[in-house]
Amino acid sequence: MQLFPCPFCGPRDETEFHYGGDAGNARPDGGDVPIDRWAGYLYLRSNPKGAAREIWVHMNCGEFFVMERDTLTHTVLSSAELGGEHAA
Amino acid sequence: MRDLAEKWSAAPDWQSATINAPGFVMSAVLGLDQLLVSGDLDPWARLSGMEGTGVGAFGAAQGDRYAARLARDRLLVVSNAPLAIAAGWHAEGFAVTAISAGLQVFEAEGPALDAFIARGTTLDPRQSSASAALSFAGISAIVYRHDGKLRIHVDRGLAAYLWTWMEQAAGHIAADD
Repeated sequence: MQLFPCPFCGPRDETEFHYGGDAGNARPDGGDVPIDRWAGYLYLRSNPKGAAREIWVHMNCGEFFVMERDTLTHTVLSSAELGGEHAA
Repeated sequence: MRDLAEKWSAAPDWQSATINAPGFVMSAVLGLDQLLVSGDLDPWARLSGMEGTGVGAFGAAQGDRYAARLARDRLLVVSNAPLAIAAGWHAEGFAVTAISAGLQVFEAEGPALDAFIARGTTLDPRQSSASAALSFAGISAIVYRHDGKLRIHVDRGLAAYLWTWMEQAAGHIAADD
């Protein structure tokens, strides 16, 4: 078991959280988005070895937040609320 | 036509249902008025005269009318008597939703409460947490203390499952005694 820090609730069991994707993977906007841009948004993932910035949601309180963690050591480096705008 | 209702055990009669184990008693709490308040909680506190923070996980609530915090922008307001506030959107910036029929409430007490909590969640009951919404027995629940007892709110559809789980947990507590 691992504890993840919800910015609102504090440390909670990892099973209470759901992964929301890479932080900064903003949805393309507009009618003239090139097809490779859509493909990148939908299918390409950075999958880093080491430090990663990810969107997570705490399912119990509904808090969406950015968590920085190390995918190799599973160390959680930080977590911060999204605050309405998409995290860049 | 197949009767799929047979696949599920019938829900207990909540009026009389109790679970008794050494140092542990569980029963249902009926007749509480429950409201969800969502949105800007400061004007809600001003208009209702209630404290706008609400108790978090395993926090201590008291009295006939209190609130448990579910999220940054959501409270569960619980009262023994119906509250005089209209359901729906309020222009001050919050919405009120009647949820009394949607949530079943259980109450437990006794010296074996810590052993019961330890079976239900990995959360440390001595460590404060802003939200009373947590995973308990594998389902989403709202858990706090009220007048020294443990109160658990769950979706009514999951109440029979949780009751079965609590019966088994009580059996394990008795076996360990």
